[in-house]
Amino acid sequence: MESLLIQYLPILIFLGIAIVFSLVFVGAAVLIARQNPDEEKLSAYECGFEAFEDSRHQFDVRFYLVAILFIIFDLEVAFLFPWAVALGSIGVFGFWSMMIFLGVLTVGFVYEWNKGALEWE
Amino acid sequence: MLPGDLSIIMPEIILAVFAMVGLLVGAYGGKDKTGPAMLWATAVLFIVLAAWIGFQGAGTAHAFLGMFVDDAFARFGKVTVLLSAAVVLLMSESYMARRNLLRFEYPLLVALAVVGMMVMVSAGNLMSLYMGLELQSLALYVIASLRRDSVKSTEAGLKYFVLGALSSGLLLYGASLVYGFAGTTQFLGILAVVGIDTSLGLLFGLSFVIAGLAFKISAAPFHMWTPDVYEGSPTPVTAFFATAPKVAAMLLFARVVHDAFGGVTDDWQQILAVLSVASMFLGAVAAIGQRNIKRLMAYSSIAHMGYALMGLAAGTAAGVEAMLIYMAIYVVMNIGTFAFILSMEKDGSPVTDIETLSMLSRRDPMRALAMLVLLFSLAGVPPLLGFFAKYAVLLAAVEAGLTWLAILGVIASVIGAFYYLRIVYLMYFGADENELDTGGSTMLRVIAMASAAIMVLGLWNLFGVEGVAKAAAATLVN
Amino acid sequence: MESIILFSPLIGALLCGFGWRIMGEYAAQWTATFLLFIACALSWIVFLTFDGGTQHVQILRWIESGTLAADWAIRLDRLTAIMLIVVTTVSALVHLYSLGYMAHDDNFREGESYRPRFFAYLSFFTFAMLMLVTSDNLVQMFFGWEGVGVASYLLIGFYFRKPSANAAAIKAFVVNRVGDFGFALGIFAIYFMVDSVNFDDIFAAAPALAERNVLFLWEHFNAAELVSLLLFIGAMGKSAQFLLHTWLPDAMEGPTPVSALIHAATMVTAGVFLVCRMSPLIEFAPYTKTFIVYIGAITAFFAATVGLVQTDIKRVIAYSTCSQLGYMFVAAGVGVYSVAMFHLFTHAFFKAMLFLGAGSVIHGMHHEQDMRNYGGLRHKMPYTFWAMMIGTLAITGVGIPLTHIGFAGYLSKDAVIESAWAGGTSAASFAFVALVVAALMTSFYSWRLIFLTFFGEPRGDKHTHEHAHESPTVMLVPLGVLAVGAVFAGMVWYGPYFGESEKIARFFHIPAAGAEAHGEGEAAEADGDHADGEGVAAAVEEAGEGDAEGAAEAVTETSHDDPDAEGRHFAFGGAPGEGAIYIGADNHVLDDAHAAPVWVKVSPFLAMLIGLGLAYLFYILRPDLPGKLAANQAPLYRFLLNKWYIDEIYDFLFVRPAKALGRFLWKQGDGTTIDGFLNGVALGVVPFFTRLAGRAQSGYIFTYAFAMVLGILVLVTWMTLSGGN
Repeated sequence: MESLLIQYLPILIFLGIAIVFSLVFVGAAVLIARQNPDEEKLSAYECGFEAFEDSRHQFDVRFYLVAILFIIFDLEVAFLFPWAVALGSIGVFGFWSMMIFLGVLTVGFVYEWNKGALEWE
Repeated sequence: MLPGDLSIIMPEIILAVFAMVGLLVGAYGGKDKTGPAMLWATAVLFIVLAAWIGFQGAGTAHAFLGMFVDDAFARFGKVTVLLSAAVVLLMSESYMARRNLLRFEYPLLVALAVVGMMVMVSAGNLMSLYMGLELQSLALYVIASLRRDSVKSTEAGLKYFVLGALSSGLLLYGASLVYGFAGTTQFLGILAVVGIDTSLGLLFGLSFVIAGLAFKISAAPFHMWTPDVYEGSPTPVTAFFATAPKVAAMLLFARVVHDAFGGVTDDWQQILAVLSVASMFLGAVAAIGQRNIKRLMAYSSIAHMGYALMGLAAGTAAGVEAMLIYMAIYVVMNIGTFAFILSMEKDGSPVTDIETLSMLSRRDPMRALAMLVLLFSLAGVPPLLGFFAKYAVLLAAVEAGLTWLAILGVIASVIGAFYYLRIVYLMYFGADENELDTGGSTMLRVIAMASAAIMVLGLWNLFGVEGVAKAAAATLVN
Repeated sequence: MESIILFSPLIGALLCGFGWRIMGEYAAQWTATFLLFIACALSWIVFLTFDGGTQHVQILRWIESGTLAADWAIRLDRLTAIMLIVVTTVSALVHLYSLGYMAHDDNFREGESYRPRFFAYLSFFTFAMLMLVTSDNLVQMFFGWEGVGVASYLLIGFYFRKPSANAAAIKAFVVNRVGDFGFALGIFAIYFMVDSVNFDDIFAAAPALAERNVLFLWEHFNAAELVSLLLFIGAMGKSAQFLLHTWLPDAMEGPTPVSALIHAATMVTAGVFLVCRMSPLIEFAPYTKTFIVYIGAITAFFAATVGLVQTDIKRVIAYSTCSQLGYMFVAAGVGVYSVAMFHLFTHAFFKAMLFLGAGSVIHGMHHEQDMRNYGGLRHKMPYTFWAMMIGTLAITGVGIPLTHIGFAGYLSKDAVIESAWAGGTSAASFAFVALVVAALMTSFYSWRLIFLTFFGEPRGDKHTHEHAHESPTVMLVPLGVLAVGAVFAGMVWYGPYFGESEKIARFFHIPAAGAEAHGEGEAAEADGDHADGEGVAAAVEEAGEGDAEGAAEAVTETSHDDPDAEGRHFAFGGAPGEGAIYIGADNHVLDDAHAAPVWVKVSPFLAMLIGLGLAYLFYILRPDLPGKLAANQAPLYRFLLNKWYIDEIYDFLFVRPAKALGRFLWKQGDGTTIDGFLNGVALGVVPFFTRLAGRAQSGYIFTYAFAMVLGILVLVTWMTLSGGN
């Protein structure tokens, strides 16, 4: 039991550091910066919605399109990391598997580009 | 190892590569001019692949360490899926073209869905199962909302997607439980564990997997999406939904319960029986209230899935054989019926209200007759093929000791006969003549007539399907 | 040739029934008639050239299931040959007659085509009847049996717009079902015990059956007795014997040619034919034979009494038919099957003629059937009058006493009465008395019919009488032909049916047993219950049979061998089924009948004279007497007029309870329970669930997801509770 908890000690330390840093940043902003809020400053980002109101209203689907397309490549990169680390042991088979995966992804990318999905207007 | 593996999954690879090449060709080949050509090419490829798979020799082969199984059972499923998808594609050409929906993506998405289905029926591992299922489902979500400017179509796609995601979640959760308790995702490995030590956790996992699969075959109470999606999707897409994916999901269902959980037949048998009863009765009862023929067919397919599940619930080789025969006949009946529905037009625009069929027999006797045969067959009226499909599953259930299930099935089919017969009534004795357009495309006429003819001619020997189904069932259950 | 006889009526029926639209009504009728005449001519050729030996003509294998094998086959022996000529002759003549009789009919609308239908039915009936009489096994016979029942039903109800005709048709069908049930049970029992339905097998097994007991319902019965009785119940239904006779008078609702063909000459005699056909079996069932005698005698007497007071010309003849069938059964019951067939044969001629004559009268009188409205018609329709006279002379049995010269009925009826006398048992004695009295009454009502119809002053509607006319030639020719039969049939065929034993044996192809052996056998028999003696035993080759007979017939046997029987030199022999009919070795009623004393032989003639005298007194000399007598003896008169109240009793005992039960099952069982349940389910429960399912289909994703979650919850709970062992 003891040893098990010891293993989680680094996480606890990270957690502590994170709390401390966030408190420091927020507190510093309150203490040091000049406070002059207006409407635009208090609003959410231009891509999102108002955080605290009825969720059932119209929004521009293009934001989501971009987000989804982003996520695909985001995941691709996330997939590439372990592959790159393990490439030494999975050999040629692993290498070509990833190449095929990237190829398939590229086909999709070509398609969406060609279709104009990446253009805002 | 690798070249052998690749040659086993060559049909899937060819189809996938075709889809990707098609995507590029379509993307560079100008707006939507490639649509019809793509559709024909896809259909022809389907048929070629079906012939290839159908005529390749017997025997069982495993690829990728058992992830992928190529046996008689899988081949039965693949041939059925490919052929039905091909026919549905051909059926949809005129309809889609007239409504400006014949984009090149449509046949390619169907092709990708079919790749998914082929992987599904060949799955030998929970991972490949999920991969095939998702590949199929994602493609289906998209084609459900193919008609982007229609509220109903997009609603159908969204509903299908959200609920499908939920069901995938259930299935994945079940799969992870199974993995946790069995220590493997390999079906054969699970089977080995299940046979020795059946833990409750494993059965928990099985329940969730069954729930996820039940969603795909739209068995009650996981059926709720079906009527809305069937109604909202463009009719050819509905026809596709009602045929190939059902076959694939049902066969996958059979593979999971028999290949992975064959040791605990008693446990899942009851669940399947309950799902079967719920589906049969819900399909029968709820369809009565429907005026829209597409919704009606949705409930009809729910009920039919109930009967197919009955064969599966028997838990025997005879039951699987009956289920396979049932699915084969069901697909043919549904293709014919949807060919008819696709040809239902009034003043050039499609209609789905069954009242418009009033007195069709007087205006278009041949078409009405074909529909009559198909509806009788769907209702299970002897001596049409639909009756023998039902008879096979009922017999399998009785022989497996599930007499109560068979009796309930018969009662449900009596209730269900009502709504089929009401359409016949409208066509032949309806109140007033409705100006439903006669004629329609030749392709649809031919398909509807051929399907009706099969319902009659198939009586001789079911075109040999029985023997193939028997062999397929034998490879699964032993 | 036999096949042509059998199938030409069928072809006629099909051509006429389905082809008349193509060939026209007229041609259709003539086609059917022509084919029947072909069958008739061939039948006579078969009959006259037939040597007596049993022949089998296989047509096709009909049923083969397990050990049950039944053929379509013709069994041609003397019985079949007789029935062939009876059926085809009468049928052919009736067809011809109908061409005239059915030419106009007020029961049908102008331009309605009823004639081809009528002829098709007639031909179909003939086919079914031929099927019955030519059958080689009980199943085929049953087919014919039911076929004639159907034809009878169709023809009785031919005037389908008349409610009474429909009711009569249904009644005939239902009453026949009672008999047919017995017949069917009999067939089942035979198949159960013999494992075959072929006559040859059954007859061969008959001696063995007589020694077997079989459990039926809750009692053990002798197998031969049981089977014979069941078959006889079938015969009772078809031949309208007492208790099952009620349908026959009502069947007169059909057109008159039908009455002549079906309800006088052929179908109703099927029962007699059945008993004769099964004679090898019935000979081993003495109790059943006694029962047959009683039923026959009662029927003969009962029907005659009712016939006395009927006023409808056809009903009089119908009761007369019923009565004459009783005669035939008495003859069969006492064991003289040849005499039963003889009376059947002659009766067919004179009774068909009487009916056709009556039809001629009805035709001429514009469908007036009440005799009280006739009178003095002999001048208007002289040919019909003479035909009816010949028929009446035949049925009442006019002839020269103590000779073999007389009308057909004289010879055959006297043969029956003498046989009844010679039967020796108490049943036979009763039958003798009953038959003689019945003969008296027969004479009375037959002459009454003649007197009321053809003599005296015209009564009833003046207009009708003024327009009364003789019938056309096509109707008179059959009358003439039948008249020949009615006069000569008895005299010509007296020998083969009721003459010397040798003649009968030759006619029916029965092998002879040694004459001297029989004499010894009789002597031995007087002792009681041991074998008939080695002579017979050797001849018959079934020694045990004598024992069984003796044991079973212990009562009747002793009275058999009165001294009169001594000195007859011929005995019937052969195994059962070898000849067309089988007469047991110890059955010498025939010889005894020949040796009947003079008073017995004269008694029916005297009875006839008394009847004639009374009728003359009542209807010519003192026409006021019948009314007075009816007033005097009101209860008796009403009793007879109401046919012994049997219909009323049946109505009370069976019809009303059955209707009440039917109404209960209909209203409560079918209406309230079954329909109520189904309607409740179809209109209440199912729509309720439909609405429920509709409401559940809200269109909101969260509802759907909720349903899925509930579903998985149920599944998991179920798994937890039931699985995981």
